[in-house]
Amino acid sequence: MIAVRNLSKKYGANEVLKNINIQFDKGNVYGIVGENGAGKTTLFRCIADLEDYEGEISSNPNPIKNHLGLLLTEPFFFQKITGKEYIQLLCNARDIKISDIDDRNIFDLPLNQYASTYSTGMKKKLALTAILLQDNNYFILDEPFNGVDIQSNIIITEIIHKLRELDKTIIISSHIFSTLSDTCDEIHLLSNGSFIKSVQKADFSALETEMKQMTIGNKIEKLGLK
Amino acid sequence: MTNRRFKDTGFEPLLAYLVLTVGFVGLSIYLFSKTEFGEYIFMLSALTLIGKLSETRRTEFLKICFSYTKLKKIRVTENLICSLPFLIFLLYKQLFLSALLLFVLATILALLNFRTTLNFTIWTPFSKRPFEFTTGFRNTFYLFFAAYALTAIAISVNNFNLGVFAMLLVFATTLSYYSKPENEYYVWSFSVNAKVFLFSKIKTAIFFSTSLVLPIAIVIAIFYPQNIIILSLFFLVGWAFLISVIVSKYSAYPDEMNITQGILLALCIWLPPILVVLIPYLFKKSENRLSNLLK
Repeated sequence: MIAVRNLSKKYGANEVLKNINIQFDKGNVYGIVGENGAGKTTLFRCIADLEDYEGEISSNPNPIKNHLGLLLTEPFFFQKITGKEYIQLLCNARDIKISDIDDRNIFDLPLNQYASTYSTGMKKKLALTAILLQDNNYFILDEPFNGVDIQSNIIITEIIHKLRELDKTIIISSHIFSTLSDTCDEIHLLSNGSFIKSVQKADFSALETEMKQMTIGNKIEKLGLK
Repeated sequence: MTNRRFKDTGFEPLLAYLVLTVGFVGLSIYLFSKTEFGEYIFMLSALTLIGKLSETRRTEFLKICFSYTKLKKIRVTENLICSLPFLIFLLYKQLFLSALLLFVLATILALLNFRTTLNFTIWTPFSKRPFEFTTGFRNTFYLFFAAYALTAIAISVNNFNLGVFAMLLVFATTLSYYSKPENEYYVWSFSVNAKVFLFSKIKTAIFFSTSLVLPIAIVIAIFYPQNIIILSLFFLVGWAFLISVIVSKYSAYPDEMNITQGILLALCIWLPPILVVLIPYLFKKSENRLSNLLK
């Protein structure tokens, strides 16, 4: 369980998160949606303890960062480190002894090649594999489906279902609504640093319609396409 | 861009250029005084530096920005500016043929472009504990071959000092693995507190550097058993510098090491006993700097 109470975050005078209150229970998948700059990544960084913030974030087990698998939107890789060594590094970081990395390479990645030479999708799959092998309790997946091929998207969806079964707490952000509706139990809409709407699975399609109307409005007509 | 980098590390560019000039001249004089192969090492260093400017992606970017003729002019000018300090020093040493050769090669290199990074994976003995030695070894493995060759030469010409130099070359190479701060994710990922994290980094560094230095030390110790105490002393100093660079790096983390750390380390080269005080001081500072990321 992760409980966020009165969370606010400012960069100078710019308040990115405004008094956020939310609870993430185990065995549930939470989707966070919002436009670019809405504060999703900052929220994730605060939960991961990568940022200072006002308010309180508590978890059980604690500290959250030692039990959290964090998949960044654009994972960073060293220039001359292979896929296998990247996984080894992240397992070492959590004191996980691992000897069968090749057997657990479910995305068929070329693990003996330098990770920096991987495509965007392969990098994402490598980063995801590494955090899955860390035996985490919590997962924050910032746009896990971006740049990933359709076959791997199917696998990632199934992985999320499996993690739910295993009673893990999963928070996902995605700009592709269908990926969230396939995986999430709840979706929370973040706008200008505040949650403005939270919906349960039954109301996902209504939320999607509402978001479409809100987002598109008469913007396409304004283009004056001929 | 170079000026900005100097400013970021807390150096006034003018002062930095002055320090670099003095350092370059000093090192060059030292190199030529210490070995008869100085001329070749000097030329090779110049060409390695110039070769970096021919990197494919860099050249591709310039190709997009400039016409073919302009691109060639820019590349030739860049290479000649870069080789200028080396050319001047070679002329000063009256090595006219080498200077001419360097001038010609620098011009030819401007017309070529190649990848300075290899596409195949270089084997490393340090795969199990990434990342410093894993990536560092792949970047500098040829220096270890050079150090081992120097050791063999030291034995064959009966020169203990050259053997010690080979040992210190390996230590100096491993120090460079800790010169840049890593992305915060690679610190944050560790589920230990700052103190355990630092000890683990130091332990790995000592273990791996020893495995690289030990073959040289053993060979020298066999041939110069009377100098084993001096050898052990250099070994200890090597470890101490390695630890001091690690704690210096994390005492500035997530920023790069700044002028203060640079001056402190330079002081230690002049007077190594300062390390006894400096290491605990920087260790404490590193603990504080890392405490935000490691709980």
